[in-house]
Amino acid sequence: MHRSLIVAALLACASAAFAATHLIAIGTPAPSFDLPVFGAKPGHHIGLADLRGKVVLLDFWASWCGPCRQSFPLYEKLRAEFPVRDFTLLAINLDEMADGPTAFLEEHPVHYTSLADPAGEVARQFGLIGMPSSFVIDRDGVVRARHTGFKPQDVDALRNEILELIGTDANDE
Amino acid sequence: MTNSNALRITLGLLALMTLGGCATTPVQPWERGRLARWDMRWDPDPLQASMADHTHFSKEGSNGHIGAAGGGCGCN
Repeated sequence: MHRSLIVAALLACASAAFAATHLIAIGTPAPSFDLPVFGAKPGHHIGLADLRGKVVLLDFWASWCGPCRQSFPLYEKLRAEFPVRDFTLLAINLDEMADGPTAFLEEHPVHYTSLADPAGEVARQFGLIGMPSSFVIDRDGVVRARHTGFKPQDVDALRNEILELIGTDANDE
Repeated sequence: MTNSNALRITLGLLALMTLGGCATTPVQPWERGRLARWDMRWDPDPLQASMADHTHFSKEGSNGHIGAAGGGCGCN
């Protein structure tokens, strides 16, 4: 009796531990989503399916995330390095309130679009384990690279990953 | 089933339910907005905190407890 109780208790603890989210695996299709564009008129949504055929860098950010202040200007430069027909940088904001990101975007203006996911539903689907997180998604919607956190040198790795996908896919055509 | 067995099972189930109360849903990375707020910091004002520490270790003669060098004279 006592032994079975102890086993049951351990199982309960283990199940709680495994309830944590798991980062989406490389090589799996990115979860589809359709989210409102932050700061746009109601009803203006963008989904991952709309970007099929392009390499996508998907960046999850929040106004309270320190490294995001570093990443924004560097991502803005990176975005400009690739042709629009091949590449899109799409950001997903995870703030619960809209005032934080509004001020953030005024302070760090960028030309790429941010979508709003205040409930974190898409973040949960991607299994984020840290902030910020970014994913490189190929033209077929498959996750090809993932980065958790941000350091300026990450941009070099991202550039190579994007170049490789753009180049490879261009050769296939 | 005897009464004593039924009591054991009931107590066991109650114990498990109590343990279930310990299970927490971890705060997800994207849910840390409130935790990241300035006023949620242990020391919201680093300057004030360092002054308070300086006064403390000077009075207590305990210089070094926060990693600073010195002999506790309060003069550095």
